[in-house]
Amino acid sequence: MFYSPVRTNASEAEKNEKLHLFKYVEDPQQKNVETFESRNGYSAWKKVLSSMSAEQVIEEVKSSGLRGRGGAGFPTGLKWSFVPKDSPKARYLCCNADESEPGTCKDRVIMERDPHAIIEGMAIASYAIGCHLMFIYIRGEFGECIRSMERAAQEARDRGHLGKNIYGSGYDLDIIVHSGGGAYICGEERALLNSLEGERGMSRIRPPFPAIEGLYACPTIVNNVESLATVPHIINRGASWYSSMGTEKSSGTKVFSLSGHVNNPGNYEVELGFSLKKLIFDPAYGGGMKDGKQLKGVIPGGASTPFLTPDMIDVNLDYESLASVGSMLGSGAVIVFNEDTCIVWTILKLIHFFRHESCGKCTPCREGTGWLEQVVRRIEMGQGEQGDIEKIEDVCGNIFGRTICPLGDAAVMPIQSAIKHWRDEWQYHIDHGSCKVKSEFSFQ
Amino acid sequence: MQGKVGVFVSIGIVMAEQVKKEQAVSGVPMVTATIDGREVTVPKGTTVLEAAREMGIHIPTFCWHPKLKSVGACRMCYVEIERMPKLQVSCATEVMEGMVIQTASEQVLQGRKAVIEFILLNHPLDCPTCDKGGECDLQNHTFAHAVDDSRYSFKKARYTDGTDGTTFDDKRLGPEIVLNRNRCILCYKCVRANKEAFGEYDLGVYERGNIAEINSAPGHEVDNPFSGNLVEICPVGALTNSDWRYKIRVWLTQTTSSICNMTSSGSNILFYKEKNHNKIYRVTSRMNDSIDDGWLPDVSRYGYQIATTEERLKTPLIKKDGKQVEATWDEAMTVIHNRFTEIAEKKGKVCLGGLASPYLDNDSLHSFNKLFRTVFKSNNIDFRSDYRMLPEGADSPYEMLVDQPFTIADIDDSDLIISFGSDLIREHPNEYLRMRKAYNFKRAKVVSINPYAVKSADIAELEVIHSIGRAETVLNGICLAAMEMGLVNNQDLTGKIAPATTAEAASDAGVTEDDLKEVARAISSAKKISFICGEMVSRSIARDTIASALWNLYLLFGFKDKGQMAILPRYANSRGAGSLGLLPSPSDGLRNTLSGLWGCFPESDPNNTDAMLALMRKEEISGFFIIGANPLMLYPDRQFVTDGLERLDFLVACDLFETDTTELADVVLPLSSWAEYDGDYVNLEGKVQHARQAIKPLYQSKPAYEIITMVAEKFGAPLFESIEACRKEVDELLSMTHSTKFPSQFLEVKPCYEDAEEEYPTPLLICDDPHHCGHRTEKSQSLSNFVSEAYIEMSPEKAEKLAVKDGESVRVESPVGKIVVPVRISDCIDNNVVLIPRNFASTQVTSLLMRKRRLDRVKITKVDE
Amino acid sequence: MMLSEESVKAIKERAGRYPHRKSAILPALTIACRQLGYVDETVYREISKIIRIPMVEVAEAATFYTMFPKAPRGKYLIQVCHNISCALLGADSLIGYLEQKLGITKGETTPDDLFTLISVECLGSCATAPMMQINEDYYENLTRQKVDDILQDLRSKA
Ligand SMILES: Cc1cc2nc3c(=O)[nH]c(=O)nc-3n(C[C@H](O)[C@H](O)[C@H](O)COP(=O)(O)O)c2cc1C
Ligand code: SF4
Ligand code: FES
Repeated sequence: MFYSPVRTNASEAEKNEKLHLFKYVEDPQQKNVETFESRNGYSAWKKVLSSMSAEQVIEEVKSSGLRGRGGAGFPTGLKWSFVPKDSPKARYLCCNADESEPGTCKDRVIMERDPHAIIEGMAIASYAIGCHLMFIYIRGEFGECIRSMERAAQEARDRGHLGKNIYGSGYDLDIIVHSGGGAYICGEERALLNSLEGERGMSRIRPPFPAIEGLYACPTIVNNVESLATVPHIINRGASWYSSMGTEKSSGTKVFSLSGHVNNPGNYEVELGFSLKKLIFDPAYGGGMKDGKQLKGVIPGGASTPFLTPDMIDVNLDYESLASVGSMLGSGAVIVFNEDTCIVWTILKLIHFFRHESCGKCTPCREGTGWLEQVVRRIEMGQGEQGDIEKIEDVCGNIFGRTICPLGDAAVMPIQSAIKHWRDEWQYHIDHGSCKVKSEFSFQ
Repeated sequence: MQGKVGVFVSIGIVMAEQVKKEQAVSGVPMVTATIDGREVTVPKGTTVLEAAREMGIHIPTFCWHPKLKSVGACRMCYVEIERMPKLQVSCATEVMEGMVIQTASEQVLQGRKAVIEFILLNHPLDCPTCDKGGECDLQNHTFAHAVDDSRYSFKKARYTDGTDGTTFDDKRLGPEIVLNRNRCILCYKCVRANKEAFGEYDLGVYERGNIAEINSAPGHEVDNPFSGNLVEICPVGALTNSDWRYKIRVWLTQTTSSICNMTSSGSNILFYKEKNHNKIYRVTSRMNDSIDDGWLPDVSRYGYQIATTEERLKTPLIKKDGKQVEATWDEAMTVIHNRFTEIAEKKGKVCLGGLASPYLDNDSLHSFNKLFRTVFKSNNIDFRSDYRMLPEGADSPYEMLVDQPFTIADIDDSDLIISFGSDLIREHPNEYLRMRKAYNFKRAKVVSINPYAVKSADIAELEVIHSIGRAETVLNGICLAAMEMGLVNNQDLTGKIAPATTAEAASDAGVTEDDLKEVARAISSAKKISFICGEMVSRSIARDTIASALWNLYLLFGFKDKGQMAILPRYANSRGAGSLGLLPSPSDGLRNTLSGLWGCFPESDPNNTDAMLALMRKEEISGFFIIGANPLMLYPDRQFVTDGLERLDFLVACDLFETDTTELADVVLPLSSWAEYDGDYVNLEGKVQHARQAIKPLYQSKPAYEIITMVAEKFGAPLFESIEACRKEVDELLSMTHSTKFPSQFLEVKPCYEDAEEEYPTPLLICDDPHHCGHRTEKSQSLSNFVSEAYIEMSPEKAEKLAVKDGESVRVESPVGKIVVPVRISDCIDNNVVLIPRNFASTQVTSLLMRKRRLDRVKITKVDE
Repeated sequence: MMLSEESVKAIKERAGRYPHRKSAILPALTIACRQLGYVDETVYREISKIIRIPMVEVAEAATFYTMFPKAPRGKYLIQVCHNISCALLGADSLIGYLEQKLGITKGETTPDDLFTLISVECLGSCATAPMMQINEDYYENLTRQKVDDILQDLRSKA
């Protein structure tokens, strides 16, 4: 069976009781239901069905302090509690496995190597909101994940973890594994719902919120893979165990995808509040800068989060600490780049991406990203004009906070921070028509 | 006025309007907010944009449309709300208690300016050659926000015609619509309206982001019967239509408020004519929430071209030596007077008859009535020239059901809408759109009961397709199901209807028992029902039987308290003609009023269209006066009509252009269209609407009223002192307290089936093409650009059986006639039925029909070339 | 019919799973692409007939997403991620290398119709950069040697 060769810190989990998400991901057997069961798998699901009410499940997750791992960090239990108790409509759970935020490759590992953990988490969440048909929306490119989840879903049905009258509890639940068609925006929950309905993946206005009117106009909860995979552990070990990890407001552990110019790129599960510096430099994690180059900057939470400069990396990886330095935890994708990296080049890569991925529904994002890409490209090509930096800032300001979904914000925040931190480099580009560093990266 | 502005009435605003109605029933809470320093109280659910509009505060928009769901895409309608750091889109933000809203703060204006700047980045700014110039939202908003410079220094993205990269994009989407993608600002209104409001899927948006584009469905034309609206709602010049393109600048035109002459609801329209010139250039909607919701079916939009066509009759014609030659009005009047007098003297009894068109206005119809009853002393008069074998008497179950009150706007908040015996899109497009609206906004349940899969049933939760000619059995079956399931208490119906059980009814009608039960359940559980019956009832000679079955249903389920049921009239003033008594034997009440007004009422035998034609054949009617009608093209059994008209001594026919009927006339008079004079029309609800004169009568044509009064004067019997006197009489007639009649008890309904003959196996239904109405619209250039010849519509299965492909010709034969028509294959028809539209003179489809038959059946064979 | 019986069956089966048929549009397009390598007007029409959804809805969705090529491609569609994490580790030079090895430029197909080379946005393989996807499979942590081997292998299989 084909796996991503991505590095993880699973071995650390053998010694460290706290690390639960990655504990078995290096074991090729883990994806089989028998192995999963033998390691206490589906015990939380059994516990929930046999002895807990939906309210109790929600309460447990609420008090664990688990926050969404998809990017926004919204408290998971609280989100579930928004589903109206008395709605006569069907309710749906959608696991967001669209993982498309540049730099992020964590959900993929769980889907490929520990799929039952996701199904168990989804099942528990479904029970909490009264859902009987749950979906996992996997980005279409992830062929292996799709196969893995399909296979696990069938195993779960075969073993009675899903289906009718599960464990004799009277509860029915099934899963549909749905694959996307290639669109970053479909990771945004409202676009995801449209896409799942067979529409173009365009975002929708809020209200109504998905928890009230989501998929097929029914109450719907969208949660990230990692968030859901965490849930069984909370049920098994208790909310206080979970909240004892991490920091006060950012409890638990989180997987960080480390990529770019480091010696050991990979996925690392660490307690929230972990030091960013340590993640990059500790030999057990990033192992320091590749080829001994100097660090130039870090994108801490995926392509849509503001940049950090080397003097800012003494920061802890949790929601509050990153916010305090003007950035965000996002999806936990830490992208590291070295001194040879031109900041304009970097931004061009990003803005090209956001322009390409804008759904085109709302004017500022549709038109603004296109305009920004043109100006940034002009600067990168050495044809920048005086005033371009101010123009970029102004256009960013006209996009930020003015769009339907956060893609607009996501597109401009890195640019704004890149100008803030490296303004002179932008200016140099314009003044000299070229750059001090060339960003020519070859591969071995 | 300071202080609270109570907002209850909401013109043109869906949400508020709906909320208002809900509130009337359930007491929706009100919320109070402050907009630009003034307090406003609105029903919960009202958007900030709507609330502001109520107060007369105009917030600019591009993507918002009052009749569509908000999508918040364009971001033009920003407002600032206290305690919300970001600008909010007012079109998608509900007013909350205590909100403090600024609609024109500095931040708001900056935000809007930025949006305009974004939109203009790639906009061609070709206003000088753009037909939208002068009425373009983008132009207006740019002007209002003083955006006079662009900071965009790149080459604008361009769609080109593909050759040299400089020509601009001009893509014909359909017969009438041209798309210029460069101008498109991606508000998606067209696509949304098309799908959401019209249920049409011939237009879409493709690709994404800043290369997204609007275009027709691959391999399809945009030619749906509501497509003209897309042009009207486009906020820029991206969509333009052929009739207006490059013809005239909007500021050189002048508008006239009027109503459409094509639908029976009377869509409200604006005529655009060139100032100082007697020429109409286009028609747009004049949004009336109680009637059309601002949507015009294409027949209403392009129907005006029947007035502007070159083919108009220009002068009176008099037949001399078998040829019609031009004449003056005086000459024509003299001939009419002399010949009618001669005939009357020769016969010595009532031998004159008249047929008026239900398209005519009240004054015309009333004067025609008066001419016949008081001058010619004749009860040979009718306005219904396309319904075979109509029953006599205003109290027939059918006539009572035609006369039922019906309110279009009530469809909006019905929770159950049933369309029965009606291909709604073809017959009542406005009501069809209402039904969709109720479905979209209120999740109303839609039920379609028809002998074939009508297109409007795409939103039907339940579609009952029954064997043709078994309509009453379906209705009986529904009643039986309700009684069997104990949904109703009243059992008096038992024994009056056949068959006796639901099961039998189901099998007779070719439906399932479950279908009948489900309809019964839906009706009994609905709170508010709109039950719409259409042409398939009116055109059937079993109309009284079907109407009786409908009445039983009405009584059994207690419709009186929970809904409306009516057979909707088909033409612009059908309801007016009936209310004014333009019938051989009007109701007693009407007759009394009329004789009171005129001091007399003839005693002669009343004869309707069918009876008059029969009398012509016996030469008992020898002089005939047709105004606006075209029985030869519309009356079922063309041979019967031809025989009758040819046997006449003298025929006067007035119309806009030459028709099959005018060809037979001894005197032909050019009639003015409704755009050429002031007139009142009664729509299907009984509402009187005024159509204003947009242009002076063209050529030598005259309005019907003038023609009729001229004739009367020639006979030395002026009808009215003035038109005001005529209107006074009309008012009196229309204000007569109209006590709606119900049968007091259940009616007997014994189905009358007609067996098929083996030789003619296929049931044929005559209909209107969705782009046409009656005999006049083929003269509209735009409408005939959509469809200009008849076709036979059949299912793919049927076509396969006949081994014909789309477009190939078939011979259609009935026991009395045969025609050759091309085939049109459609998914919207099945059950072995075929349709042929009656709107094209070149195909004499009525020659296939037999006037005493319930069902027309034909034999279809492929024409081998 | 362009769609094979097997594809039609698969699409019908998918359509039956969802509460609303329309949800089957993406799965249907995926199945069609798997069989044909691309989709076009005819395919939209066939899908629309199978799942009973207006054809325009299928076309609208198909053109929104990137995974449904609108014209035939080479047997192997090589998609190289050019987004930031991969670019930092040489994605641009990887593309150059592939162009040179295949004798085509980005966006083109080799004359033997074997390979089409395009660059795409992030494929969620950032910590194993640089990478490429060939048809449905991912190839990660690429080196020149690996690329040579992969191309060799695919050529020999073709
Ligand atoms: C442009 C955009 C892309 C997103 N992509 C993803 C994604 O790929 N995966 C994900 O889980 N959440 C993504 N999100 C966040 C989702 O909208 C949503 O907040 C999340 O799935 C909720 O799950 P959580 O509460 O478990 O984090 C994205 C958001 C935006 C604005
Ligand atoms: S912000 Fe961009 S991606 Fe989000 S709705 Fe607007 S156009 Fe679409
Ligand atoms: S009108 Fe509100 S966003 Fe377009």
